[in-house]
Amino acid sequence: MAHSLRRAIRYLLLAAAAALMVAPVAIMVVGALKPDARVLPEAGTLQALFPGRLTLENFADVLGRTRFGLFLFNSLFINAAIVALGLAVNSLAGYALARLRWRGRGVVLAGVLALLVIPFEAIAVPLFWQVTLLGWRDTYLVQILPFTANAFAIYLFYTFFLELPRELEEAARVDGAGPWRTYLAVVVPNARPAFASVAVLTFLTQWGAFLWPLMVTSGPAVRPLPVAIATFFTQPPLQWGDILAFGVMMVAPVLLLFLLFQGWFVRGVAASGIKG
Amino acid sequence: MPRPLTDQTPAAWSMAAPAVAGLALFVGLPFLVAFGLAFTSARLGSPLPVEFLGWEQFRRILADPAFLRALANNGLFAMVVVPLQTVLALGLALLLNQPLRGLPLFRTLFFMPVVFPMSLVAVVWVLLYAPGGTGPVNAFLGWLSFGAWSPRDFLHDPAWALPAIMLTSIWQGVGFQMVILLAGLQAIPAERYEAAAIDGAGGWGQFLHVTLPGLRNTLIFVVVVTSILAFRLFDQVRIMTQGGPGEASATVIYAAVRAAFERQQVARGAAMTVVFFLIVLAVTLLQRRLLRQER
Amino acid sequence: MRGLIAGLLLLAALSLAACGEESSAPPGADDGPVRLRVWVHSGQPGERAVIRDQVARFNAAEPGVQVELTVIPEGGYNAQVQAAALAGDLPDVLEFDGPFLYSYAWQGHLRPLDGLLPAAVRDDLLPSLAAQGSWNGRLYAVGAFDSGLGLWGRKSLLEAVGARLPAGPDAAWSATEFAQLLERLAERDSDGAVLDLKLNYTGEWFTYAFSPVLQSAGADLVTRAPPLRAGGVLDSGEAVAALRRVQDWIRAGRVDPNLDDAAFTGGRVALSWAGHWEYPRYRKAVGDDLVLLPLPDFGAGSRTGQGSWNWAITTRCDRPEAAARFLGFLLQPDEVLAMTAANGAVPGTRRAVARSPLYGPAGPLRLFVAQLGENAVPRPRTPAYPVITSAFQKAFQDIRNGLDVEEALRRAAALIDQDIQDNRGYRAVE
Repeated sequence: MAHSLRRAIRYLLLAAAAALMVAPVAIMVVGALKPDARVLPEAGTLQALFPGRLTLENFADVLGRTRFGLFLFNSLFINAAIVALGLAVNSLAGYALARLRWRGRGVVLAGVLALLVIPFEAIAVPLFWQVTLLGWRDTYLVQILPFTANAFAIYLFYTFFLELPRELEEAARVDGAGPWRTYLAVVVPNARPAFASVAVLTFLTQWGAFLWPLMVTSGPAVRPLPVAIATFFTQPPLQWGDILAFGVMMVAPVLLLFLLFQGWFVRGVAASGIKG
Repeated sequence: MPRPLTDQTPAAWSMAAPAVAGLALFVGLPFLVAFGLAFTSARLGSPLPVEFLGWEQFRRILADPAFLRALANNGLFAMVVVPLQTVLALGLALLLNQPLRGLPLFRTLFFMPVVFPMSLVAVVWVLLYAPGGTGPVNAFLGWLSFGAWSPRDFLHDPAWALPAIMLTSIWQGVGFQMVILLAGLQAIPAERYEAAAIDGAGGWGQFLHVTLPGLRNTLIFVVVVTSILAFRLFDQVRIMTQGGPGEASATVIYAAVRAAFERQQVARGAAMTVVFFLIVLAVTLLQRRLLRQER
Repeated sequence: MRGLIAGLLLLAALSLAACGEESSAPPGADDGPVRLRVWVHSGQPGERAVIRDQVARFNAAEPGVQVELTVIPEGGYNAQVQAAALAGDLPDVLEFDGPFLYSYAWQGHLRPLDGLLPAAVRDDLLPSLAAQGSWNGRLYAVGAFDSGLGLWGRKSLLEAVGARLPAGPDAAWSATEFAQLLERLAERDSDGAVLDLKLNYTGEWFTYAFSPVLQSAGADLVTRAPPLRAGGVLDSGEAVAALRRVQDWIRAGRVDPNLDDAAFTGGRVALSWAGHWEYPRYRKAVGDDLVLLPLPDFGAGSRTGQGSWNWAITTRCDRPEAAARFLGFLLQPDEVLAMTAANGAVPGTRRAVARSPLYGPAGPLRLFVAQLGENAVPRPRTPAYPVITSAFQKAFQDIRNGLDVEEALRRAAALIDQDIQDNRGYRAVE
């Protein structure tokens, strides 16, 4: 009796928490499907969740009013580039630090550990000044390169590779493989979880990037989604249905990714906590 | 023919070079530049020559009530959000760390806001905080208090702007902390709980003597990451309140970006950035000391 | 490693010493049309559509020139211009809000137009626009339209409470009369909010719309004659008293927060403090019940805003004569009227005003033209303007949120004066 009561209380708590977590998302999705004029007046009523008649008008409006496809492409391209380049560059450095004997290793490792402390916000202003002086705004590169080499990613790879069993690499070495071949043929295939975790973490931290693209993009050409929605939000005419529809379209691809690869997302985030 | 154990310096440098160059150019160099700029009069696009000003920029920002208020806001934000979010995340993690059916679904729902870009979250919450009875948050509080709640304009009310941003931030971030703590919980060996049960510890005793000590490092990590996040606060402020009313929700990074980007006062922004970095450094060093005192 | 550190320090030193060197591109080689990069602000949807059509027409009429538009959001427009200027990627032709001209010209980003635009085009400009576009005796920018600011009202609601409708700026309501009118309107209103101040807008709107309140009270943003100063002007007793009145309307609940920008069109308020650009939308929503009235008089006469977005050619442009042809095209009467038909603005040239159905002697928006003579005050013509407006916007936001008026204005004045001092009074740099 007491046991089943305790279980009921647990479910009740979980359900209440879930309702609070989901409500904002539900209001967003439902608002996106309602005629513009009804979004704000009904936002505080039950019709915010149970709209009755639905329409796809807002989505058509957004596609007509903004270059949504371009913003989506920009975001996907920039983030794919950061993740892919980052995996290559940071894993190589992590491997060299974890497994190779070389002059300068100690200094580089100390440097990486020291830079772990510096959050991006601490360098945004001088970096903005630097790239502006170099005439380097409004490009994909300026949104990709500063985020490719990442001290935290290097550190994560370094700890992952330290845990890899040495026998595999020994075998490759006996076969006469150098560091590069060993890395490509042995380390990469055997460290897939490490790569997946770092990829997920990089993506999660970069996907929502707002401050930097806000400072270095002027026109829509290379503007990513997070800045695009903030811009759309302040651009007349202010239509809440359209804004929410923009939001739904913007988060849908990531939610889909998340639902498909949920295990990796959770493992990646958990890994950051355990290693950190 | 196995390779002899030799010095691998050339290969190692070829592997590490891209990362080292990237970190040097995009983290190390701007970091040095920030310190350099903070001691000058540099302004974007000014035809006047740049002068060396010594500590003048620091003197000015530390004498500026607006900046001090921004610093205090960051501190307040950390003091409220860090314990609250950690406790909530721990509560959710404990609820999920049970043999119950349907848990993966709940985990998905709690984690879902984490994949929402903060700028989108901020825009949606502007609607949720709409003033008057039509605002969802106002309506919900009215329903919860059987009509005793009088509707407020949260984002334009000096007393409510920062708390409103806190709630939004917790909503978006709690799932992240929860997942980390859940992993920490699952890493605690079951034998410890069994041993504690044999010693006669109840549920609460097990939590105090097994769960908390087992989570020690994970908790320290979560607290430190959340504290640093609290000082990095920018997106929500910029989109939801623009730092207002007055300076009620201004933050250090928001002030720095405003100075450097909107008012072209790069040197002033750099000085604020340096102050921000020193705070983050202090928090991190504190964490390392705590971790070193372990056992 | 030591070499690396030395290299880094050298790089840092170089970037600290770098002064935005202008790498002047070679003049467009004759291999196809001249490309003109043009920045416009996003504006109202109707304006965006018209400028796109105009560019298409110009490109069709001038096969030798190809204009490429980039639409920049209004929020932070000046920040984008500053960053682009420093990066050396300013466009050839730049649109910007009028009072920013003096800052850009002082920084050396703009070309004088005196030798580029034919005299006939220059002389056709409204005097208010010619004044806005000039600095240190040279013309730097031209606008296709000037702006109008007033109170849009629903005649039926105003007449229902027995309000007198001022025929012109000289007969404007006094601030006291206006406050009483708000109360009378509120008695018949469901939520008591009867006035829209466009609190949903961001940025320049607040300076444009509410600095006239200061001038109407006998105060101002800064001194209009040297030495340039905000202290004692922006935070004077008159300024504080006037903005306290505005704050009182908000405190009493008379102002709609307008979160959906539908306060007036949706019938929630009787009065909307807004610019010419709302005419097309308001007219559609209210029809013949729409009336345009002058802003209230805070003691020194009804004052209103003026000045608007205008066009300039940057020093980055290597084919200024082509850019000037584009500006000349935009100032043709037909083009001016196409734009003002879409946005309801005051046509910026004499020839266009004469032909405008909205602004002719019997036109519904005649008040805006009448105001441009005596009542419209240009925003301060000084390179300090970006800081002035940024400080005043912040002060107005604080006042709107119920903070102490005097404190807010005092802070804004101190911020402006500090900046003027930091820039040595913004004397022209030769």
